[in-house]
Amino acid sequence: MSENEKTKKDFEPKVVGFLCNWCSYAGADLAGTSRIQYPPNIRVIRVMCSGSVDSVYVNRALIEGADAVLIGGCHPGDCHYLNGNYKARRKMVLMKNILTTLGMEPERVWLRWISASEGQKFADTVKEIVGETKKLGPNPMKERWNI
Amino acid sequence: MIYQLKIEEDAGTTVNNLLKSMLKDGKIDALVAMQETPTGKSAFPTMVSDPDKLHTNVFAPLLPVSTGTVVSHMTKVQGPKKPLAVVLRACELRALVELAKIKQADLDNLILIGVDCLGTFPMKTYSDFDENPTEILLKGEGEEYLRTACLNCKNPVPENADIVIGVYGADEGLFLDARTEKGEGILSDMDLDEAEDVEVREQAVNDVRGKKDETRKEFMEEHADIVGVDKLLEFFDTCVNCHNCMKACPICYCRECLFESSVFDLEANKYMAKAKSKGAFKTPTDSLLFHVTRFNHMILSCVECGLCEQACPSDIPLMNIITSIAENAQREFEYEPGKDPEEEMPMVVYREDEFQDVGEG
Repeated sequence: MSENEKTKKDFEPKVVGFLCNWCSYAGADLAGTSRIQYPPNIRVIRVMCSGSVDSVYVNRALIEGADAVLIGGCHPGDCHYLNGNYKARRKMVLMKNILTTLGMEPERVWLRWISASEGQKFADTVKEIVGETKKLGPNPMKERWNI
Repeated sequence: MIYQLKIEEDAGTTVNNLLKSMLKDGKIDALVAMQETPTGKSAFPTMVSDPDKLHTNVFAPLLPVSTGTVVSHMTKVQGPKKPLAVVLRACELRALVELAKIKQADLDNLILIGVDCLGTFPMKTYSDFDENPTEILLKGEGEEYLRTACLNCKNPVPENADIVIGVYGADEGLFLDARTEKGEGILSDMDLDEAEDVEVREQAVNDVRGKKDETRKEFMEEHADIVGVDKLLEFFDTCVNCHNCMKACPICYCRECLFESSVFDLEANKYMAKAKSKGAFKTPTDSLLFHVTRFNHMILSCVECGLCEQACPSDIPLMNIITSIAENAQREFEYEPGKDPEEEMPMVVYREDEFQDVGEG
């Protein structure tokens, strides 16, 4: 294993999670109260709806050096505000499309539907994100002072 | 119905006379069209109601501001009670249609007159010409001076207009294409000759669109290497965060932009904490974030007028990346800004059965 690959594997990614109040945040809560183990790499920000997560929050997290960003919402059809998660999905498609054109690593941005009863799914999602992000390596934007 | 118009003196004067007779006959109460300033060094959209003060040159190859923006300011509080004609280029009309969709313009009582666009020059180039810049373009010369956005225009022939003033395919005159009942109502009693060679017009329009598609494709391929954070930082290296691109953009309509607010003003200790964690950071902060966020907010409606690039004090060739971003994003949502006033914008609608792989593991 080269030195570079070693540091890639060893680094602890910082993940910013925007979780909707009604489903994913409650799911994360359940993971905690059920004592399900998951990596401590995620920093959770509670939002009222996944549809309220504007691209500016996600891109700011990335540009400021977050290694991954998760947006968690209710399953399609279950949105507390009827259709916020469908709009979140469209926003995500646009965001990723633009990041792809700009070559800014769209794979660092994740959208997942996690309900209030899915504590295990939340834990698994965080594990998956941390694992995949370790493979990607640290976000290069972290190191740029002129960004 | 397509009519034809013989050119008297020059094309600009011919159209000016036509507009004048519309004003005199009371078909319209006022109009907004490009009018050269007395120095002849620039031209601006001008609202005229006195036929004697009408000296328009709708072909003036200059885009100081999008007429879409101008009409938005004029109609968003309350639309006109009497008919108001507006003469626009294709990209300006597309912008106006997008603005009307987000209730930033009222198209009722407007008579939209579109003009075939031969392209526009940068402000300085326009005023530096010794010869009349309009004549240069109408002769089919001066292409090397055109703005990047115009060279790669995706459609220089206006759609959705009530009347289109056609240059393409018209050898020794102009076409007048009544596209709607409103337009037909105005042109039909103006004693005009019906165009003989309608196919010629269609062919010429298709040809110019095809040619532009080619150059556009080549242009995007040429600049396809601006990817990745380092290339982007190099691209925006001279950005002074003045937000002129946003102010010139006809689509950026927010009364208070997030980036002009105090959202990004933090306590000093937060800046110092950031400096500690990164070692150093450049100010003004958040300039790449500003551009990326602006793209997210306006790109689906981007009409590619290139006013952002023209407004940049650092001459950042914004269209080099915006063209591809707009192309890719609009293709993803199968959306063509300005094409259909009835079509809803992608970010306000959704379908349950779309993008189903997004959000699932």
